[in-house]
Amino acid sequence: MKPSASAEGEQTAVHFDAVTKRFDDVVALSAVTLGVGRGEFVTLLGPSGCGKTTLLKLAGGFLGPDGGSISIEGKRVNDIPTYQRGIGMMFQNYALFPHMSVAENVAYGLKTRRVPRVERDKRVADALALVKLKGMENRKPRQLSGGQQQRVALARALVINPTVLLLDEPFSALDKSLRTSMQVELREIQRKLGLTTIFVTHDQGEALSMSDRVAVMSEGRIRQLGSPVDVYRSPADPFVASFVGDNNRLRGQLVSVHAKQAIVALGDALVNVPGESLSGLEKSAAVDLYVRPEQFSIVAPEEPCAIKGSVVAQIYQGGHVDLQIECSGGTGDRLLVRSPGEQAVLRWPMGAPVGIAIQADRCSVFPVG
Amino acid sequence: MNQQPFLRIFTAPATLCAVGFVAAMVAVLQYSLRAYVPGSLDPGGFTLANFADLLKPLYARVFLDTVVVCAMTAVVTLIVGYPLAYALVRVEQPILRSILLVIVVTPLFLGEVVRTYAWIIVLGNNGFINSLLMSLGLIGKPLQLMFTPFGVVVALVHVTLPVMVIMLAAGLSHIDRDYSRAAESLGAGPIRVFLTVTLPLSLPGVVAGTTTAFAWTFSAFATPQLIGGGRVNMISNLVYQLGFSSFNFPFAATLCVAGLALTALVLGLLQLASRPLRKIEVH
Repeated sequence: MKPSASAEGEQTAVHFDAVTKRFDDVVALSAVTLGVGRGEFVTLLGPSGCGKTTLLKLAGGFLGPDGGSISIEGKRVNDIPTYQRGIGMMFQNYALFPHMSVAENVAYGLKTRRVPRVERDKRVADALALVKLKGMENRKPRQLSGGQQQRVALARALVINPTVLLLDEPFSALDKSLRTSMQVELREIQRKLGLTTIFVTHDQGEALSMSDRVAVMSEGRIRQLGSPVDVYRSPADPFVASFVGDNNRLRGQLVSVHAKQAIVALGDALVNVPGESLSGLEKSAAVDLYVRPEQFSIVAPEEPCAIKGSVVAQIYQGGHVDLQIECSGGTGDRLLVRSPGEQAVLRWPMGAPVGIAIQADRCSVFPVG
Repeated sequence: MNQQPFLRIFTAPATLCAVGFVAAMVAVLQYSLRAYVPGSLDPGGFTLANFADLLKPLYARVFLDTVVVCAMTAVVTLIVGYPLAYALVRVEQPILRSILLVIVVTPLFLGEVVRTYAWIIVLGNNGFINSLLMSLGLIGKPLQLMFTPFGVVVALVHVTLPVMVIMLAAGLSHIDRDYSRAAESLGAGPIRVFLTVTLPLSLPGVVAGTTTAFAWTFSAFATPQLIGGGRVNMISNLVYQLGFSSFNFPFAATLCVAGLALTALVLGLLQLASRPLRKIEVH
């Protein structure tokens, strides 16, 4: 322990420093560095096998790193077993002890800490009140609904005042409406208690809606770390662009690049795009444009537009309409276009020839390969 | 009409077996109610005298001994088998796991008689244990291990162990590892995790294993015959003596019926006592 834990040390609750983990020959994490601020809600987002759960297990001490160091509250915990780390963890299947009542489940962490009976009872009651489960003390886990079981799991993890709360895809077993309300509730409680939280999910919607910061992971690395808005608006690489949110990829050719601006040819059309990621690239190099469905707008085919095509599918979503447009030219490429409201259903019927205009200033461009 | 046309064909052999089994049981039951005619293989008229004879101290003693030996075997097998089953489920190195599995399962394929002979070699007066202890100078003359309840229990434990370990391991492997991870995250060390989470959740497996071990041992014949050598008698040995040495078929049949009833009674009691455990639902 360094006495001058530095300004960063005082702010950072959990710090991964160049953490590496291998399973036999497979590298699960390669030199991952990540700092989680005190009270911050950080989400590890990525497809299965990207290393997000491994990182969480390393924080919990269920696995040991092969390289690098992990510290909690400025203290190196590499060699400290799980039960001495003071963490709270919520599991995907909740892992409520089936042979104990709700109250016994919540009291478990207080018993291991030898909290006296009277204080224990009070803290259990407070924790159950916090998750709105008063009156359920004597039920067994199997007598509860999925949502209630999750609340018990949360109360059990919170009652010990953990230094960090680890959440392993806790919402995946809930149906959609319950999931949304639990997400809001969990976030409220987390804010109220100022709890440092690391949350693992493969659901990008969940990650965007709940997090202070999102770490997008793939193949054992953090591809991008930033606020949900950053990650959605300015993806750092093609993987992040296609994994977070819906995106359309358009292959084009670089015409010119000028500091922050670049001109890209999409077939016959020329579009102005942000050029930061293209500096140093040769003229006429192939580039990929990533355009969000809401950055397209559909116009009549005779109006000026970048792409022409015809409507092949209409997906009415209530608040908006998703249209699939097959580009003309016989390539069979389909684009997803999102149109707010519901006028598009009538205005652009199936099979109608349409033009697509691009709000290209907000799209992302990456060199191919 | 018939939704599963092959069901009848498939169940037919099973039905045949069942009919044969029921016929044999009825014959045994019928014999148990007949009088013994000394010097004749044919039984006499119907009587309840055989069942009254069961209460004679000589026979009651064998029943009691059988229950005691079975209970001791079940308990010792449980104590020896639990750590083995636990290791079998939790050990992660594939090689170590295979070795354990081979050690546990191989005896199952050796048959009771072969295993019992092995134990005679180990337990005899000039056997492995006595030779070792004497050469170490720990004892002056051989310990009497053969022809004792101790020897019988040791050999029966070996016979019963594979079944116990397999049943315990089945129970343990159904316990989600996240339960123990959750306990660890809440501050419980390894011993506490075992005592408060793993052990209670494995109790249904313990009951199943113990019950099976008990029933498994109750009908033991070769082991008490060879290692008990007439000095440790279990019900099967008594049935053999009466049926095939004295040709008292009716009383041998009575012993069979009584043994069956006693097994059913003990198993029923065990099930009853373990009823609260059924509430433990391990997902």
